[in-house]
Amino acid sequence: MESGLFLSLAVVGAIKLHSSFVAVTLLAATAFAQAAGGPFSSQSLQKSPVEVLIFLRSDCPISNRFAPEVERLSQEFSAKGVQFWLVYPDRADTAANVADNAKEHGYNLPILRDADRALVKRSDATITPEAAVFSHGELIYHGRIDDRVAAFGKVRPAPTTHELQDALNAALLGRKPAVQEAPAVGCYISDLQ
Amino acid sequence: MSGRAILLAAALSGASLTVLAQAPAKSADVTYAKDIAPIVNSQCIACHHSSGPAPFPLTTYAEVRSHAQQIADVTRTHYMPPWLPDTQVSHFVDQLELSDAQIKTIQHWAASGAQPGDLASLPKPKEFPDGWQLGQPDLVLTSPKPWTMPASSVDLYRNFVFTVPIDKVKYVRAVEIRPGNTRVVHHANVLIDRKQSSRKRDGEDGQPGFPGMDVALESDAFDPDSHFIYWKPGAVVWSEPEGLGWELDPGTDLVLNMHMQATGKQEIVQPSLGIYFTDVKPTLHPMLLQLDADEQLDIPAGASNFTVHDEFTLPVAVDVIAIYPHAHYLGHELDTYATLPNGKKQWLVKIPQWDQSWQGIYRYRDYIHLPKGTVISMKFTYDNSASNVRNPSNPPRRVTAGNSSTDEMAHIWLQVLPVPAEVDGQDARLYLQEALMRHTLEKRPKDFSAHFNMGALYMGEDKNAEAEQQFKLALAVHPQDAATLNSLAAAEQAQGATAEAVKHYHQAIAADPMYVDAHFNLAMALIGSADFAGAITELQHVLELHPDDAGAEANLGAAYAQLSDWKNAESHLRRAIALDPQNRAAQENLAIVLQNLPVP
Repeated sequence: MESGLFLSLAVVGAIKLHSSFVAVTLLAATAFAQAAGGPFSSQSLQKSPVEVLIFLRSDCPISNRFAPEVERLSQEFSAKGVQFWLVYPDRADTAANVADNAKEHGYNLPILRDADRALVKRSDATITPEAAVFSHGELIYHGRIDDRVAAFGKVRPAPTTHELQDALNAALLGRKPAVQEAPAVGCYISDLQ
Repeated sequence: MSGRAILLAAALSGASLTVLAQAPAKSADVTYAKDIAPIVNSQCIACHHSSGPAPFPLTTYAEVRSHAQQIADVTRTHYMPPWLPDTQVSHFVDQLELSDAQIKTIQHWAASGAQPGDLASLPKPKEFPDGWQLGQPDLVLTSPKPWTMPASSVDLYRNFVFTVPIDKVKYVRAVEIRPGNTRVVHHANVLIDRKQSSRKRDGEDGQPGFPGMDVALESDAFDPDSHFIYWKPGAVVWSEPEGLGWELDPGTDLVLNMHMQATGKQEIVQPSLGIYFTDVKPTLHPMLLQLDADEQLDIPAGASNFTVHDEFTLPVAVDVIAIYPHAHYLGHELDTYATLPNGKKQWLVKIPQWDQSWQGIYRYRDYIHLPKGTVISMKFTYDNSASNVRNPSNPPRRVTAGNSSTDEMAHIWLQVLPVPAEVDGQDARLYLQEALMRHTLEKRPKDFSAHFNMGALYMGEDKNAEAEQQFKLALAVHPQDAATLNSLAAAEQAQGATAEAVKHYHQAIAADPMYVDAHFNLAMALIGSADFAGAITELQHVLELHPDDAGAEANLGAAYAQLSDWKNAESHLRRAIALDPQNRAAQENLAIVLQNLPVP
């Protein structure tokens, strides 16, 4: 994809993505506007060449436990012009559920619902939580946020690798990260309806 | 450590057990309704229901379907259902397990599209009513203030102190722990703090309770009531069989030690304890046997298979009721077995893959009888390499024994009932206690608790010179320990060395000015050396701390009488009798005092 991830009409309730995407439902319109610094446009994408999708599921404990780390990374990298999005692909996760989940976990990021799995496909995402990093519209990393969760029930006290952070640093330098794919541990997106 | 340090307590858990010995269903015809729901309903939903402690419910097809591959993964790796002991070698109450056939059936179902089958044929889902499992408790204790757990991604350990508002001895048959936030709390146990030693830490960081993974409690008595009071997700509240209740004395605090798992958001935790009393005085008196190998814990950084051992030979026959193995994040394989006098090996618990997050108290379905002379062996291994993902230190560092999560422990507690309860006219637990303390001192000649406990045992046998020696050895380790100074003084006093006793009582009080027993004992020693004025001062301290202590009032009255202060003598003796109408000494002394009072 040569253009940015989200070409859009800044319409409350729905945004149009790149023509090959099915529209995702935009939940938090105000948060979206704030985070994007105003109505979304192709110009704003030029200013935010690096975008991150974080795939989440409100009833996935591993997904939820990553909230403080995602919020920390988003604060660090938003200041450097990176745009973060939370993506909830579960059709059964209602709009209210998703909004509550994000609020409870202290997220201050725009939320997308991906009922048709367009963003899942675009990102090769299979797990919640999982991150996908796009640089100028190109997928340069997808996989775990870090290696804290080694397997179900095997959790490190602190991560020893930081794949998402490394990918963002590489993207900001206009490079591809050394690690472009790392398996995430969590709930399977394929288990969802 | 048993008399003096960590008294862990508990009651256990789990959903009902059904292991179906059947062949796995073929993938083509595996359905939720026919094959999966029976497994999930018997092994999962005790925790995985909408108000349960698990993070998502699994009570309907849609719910189970939406985690199908995840369920296949976690059952294949035996992460779920969470049950650490090998069920082939020992059988416990409420154990959770899936047969290999059941696990295969789940794999087939997930791989073949998680088919629903005939959902209409399913029985009505089981209901999980909120509220106390055993009905309304006789006494409910709730943490006065909620504790706020910060949004974080790391595990936390917190202890809550409960004072118990009872004015006479009660017998307890059950304690239900309501953690106050089951999504957060991973396990909890109640410690019985007879000396109120945790109160001073309550609120030390400005929040209710105090932090800490393991808690050391002070106790200056051989604890007679050794029970496990425990909670973990899905726990069925344990009610002691008749005769196996335990005594709860006024002034005893209960300390709830909780392991909390981060959820990624701020959480409010306000635990409660529901206490169920019984009128039946306990007739069976179990004891906790502690095997440990803490002194061997010096695990080099990077060691992946570090082994420690302990062995204890039973001086009397016992029935083993329950077992609680304990290590921290480096524990790998935790095995305990008995070698009977006839050479037969009897497993007590075999844990091939320890995970401290899912630790539990395990109660045997049938008590395990171990004859006198049986050798109990524990063997724990530790993985302090970087490949142990739970290693709290990265890179790994040398690890020794301690209570914090970055230290390690190597402990097994066995709850046992001596059979018979008396040997040669003496409580059989005293033989166990003495053998345990001697065993501890062989391992650790400078073990403070073992010397203290040996001293207490000798005093119980009226061997006061031996007791004095043991207390002095304990004080060589902890010179300022108030309870030991008090006990040393008592041993000296019993041998007639009143001046030494008075000196050591004063030191005990200097170490802990709130120590009621030392004030009282000092007063008695002063009365014995005819220092009635000094005794009065000490007894007044006792009454400041324990205003309704009949014995202190009676002795205060007697001390005033010795000084011919008849008016004060009368009022304190009358108060003693009001508090304890059966106090004969106070009645007799009052009669004498009344004869001496001037006629109005």
